Amino acid sequence: MPTSRTDAPAARRRRAGLVLGQVALLAGVLALCEALVRGNVVSSLYLPAPTDVLDEVVLLLSGDNGFYGNLAVTLQEFLTGYLLAVAAGILFGLFLALVPLAEAFFRPFLAALMAVPKVTVIPLLTLWFGLGLGHKVIIVFLFCFFPIVYNTIAGVKQTSADHLKVARSFRASRFQVITKVVLPSAVPTIFAALRVEAAAALVGAIFGEMVASKAGLGNGLTEATSLYDTPRAFAFIILITLVSVASVTVIDQLEKRVFLKWRPRQTRLR
Amino acid sequence: MNGQGFTVTGVSKTYGGAGEVRALDGIDLTVGEGEFVVLLGRSGCGKSTLLEIMAGLQRPTTGTVRLGGREITEPDERIGVVFQDPSLYPWRTVGRNVELGLELAGLPKGRRRAVAQEHLELVGLPDAGNKYPRQLSGGMRQRVGIARALATRPDVLLMDEPFGAVDHLTRLQLQHDLLRLWAEDTRTVVFVTHDVAEAIVLADRIVLLTPGPGRIARTWDVPRPRPRTLGDPGLTALREEIYAQLEDTGTWEKEGQPR
Repeated sequence: MPTSRTDAPAARRRRAGLVLGQVALLAGVLALCEALVRGNVVSSLYLPAPTDVLDEVVLLLSGDNGFYGNLAVTLQEFLTGYLLAVAAGILFGLFLALVPLAEAFFRPFLAALMAVPKVTVIPLLTLWFGLGLGHKVIIVFLFCFFPIVYNTIAGVKQTSADHLKVARSFRASRFQVITKVVLPSAVPTIFAALRVEAAAALVGAIFGEMVASKAGLGNGLTEATSLYDTPRAFAFIILITLVSVASVTVIDQLEKRVFLKWRPRQTRLR
Repeated sequence: MNGQGFTVTGVSKTYGGAGEVRALDGIDLTVGEGEFVVLLGRSGCGKSTLLEIMAGLQRPTTGTVRLGGREITEPDERIGVVFQDPSLYPWRTVGRNVELGLELAGLPKGRRRAVAQEHLELVGLPDAGNKYPRQLSGGMRQRVGIARALATRPDVLLMDEPFGAVDHLTRLQLQHDLLRLWAEDTRTVVFVTHDVAEAIVLADRIVLLTPGPGRIARTWDVPRPRPRTLGDPGLTALREEIYAQLEDTGTWEKEGQPR
């Protein structure tokens, strides 16, 4: 948003004040927690002292309790399930968008399957697929697949009739129309789903691990909670959040630097 | 390179369905090799439909279009089309937009890049190749649209209100540039517009279409040398004649009177 030159120092002062206030609030809450726990007002069983949580984070990051092994397990489940869902979702969405009869046929089934809250089938999936990688991959896949299909269909339908006419005037084949006009037109809408579903995929992997697993970050979290190791549980929550933020950041960068390089910066509303 | 002539014979176009719409009715038109013909008419008179039929983008309900003796039933490599909204692909750089036709025809990358650059220079945008369309003005984008159509070296250029979306001064500049390109490399041009002045400045021959259904009302030859100015007494007279004809044929929508 353009700010006139004379306003710049005032705007900077305002922003500095805002950040200062935010830091003060955060520090205040943390200090209050620390004081409540250290003063035995609240049992450390319910609420960990922030300094204890920090110690646990450092401990985990130094490799305690096979942290990196667990991280690798979770990332493998997450990436396998997510990438499968992305590939299958885009291909199936493209197929449905380009073949109206197929879309008409599959639409009610898709809508019904999408309506099922995915967490409800996790115990059954455990029964069918056991505790290992396959179980989590399928959960992650189910979490991500349907929204990617829907966004791909929506994106393909946004293809401009004028853009298609240009391709036709150059005698483009059907395959060329798909790869050079339809897919690029759908990319912004597809990416909107990819970003949201990256976070959902991690939720799927972690939740699957919490329900039934032998390893992974979710497994570590459940273990810490069941042992009433509250600081460690909090440490896991923080580290899992960081993984989630990192994965969404990767998608954002991919979008900005590769796939949607041509787009203007997001228009701000105010 | 010389162009080829069009022969349009008895072309009608009816859009089907319950509320059948007759867009064109019994169009007969010949466009000579190297001739610059302007199809003039108000919106809804079917002039864009006629152009798309000539481009092979639509099929006529009855009648035929021939280009150099061969019937046009689908887009043809001898024809280049310039669209009203240049419809550049926003995800491609300007250079890769100009390459589009060559790429779809399977030309190798190095070759088509060189041809694209050559055509960007031709339309006066030698440094635009690496920009994205959104970084260009409306007039510049339309030049890119022309470069894209010329890059496949068509014999014939079909232009559908190409300068309709730019401001008046830019439009004059683009008209001037188009005539320069045409003088350097004469080819058959069919140009659609609703702007009487634009028709007079550009055309060898003006074809007036009237709506409901689209028919050819009248044609005028414009035997004046270019560049033309509208102050030219001969052209002023022609302009008045065209306006009189427009009023005469009920091309103006009169208040309270159904079309």
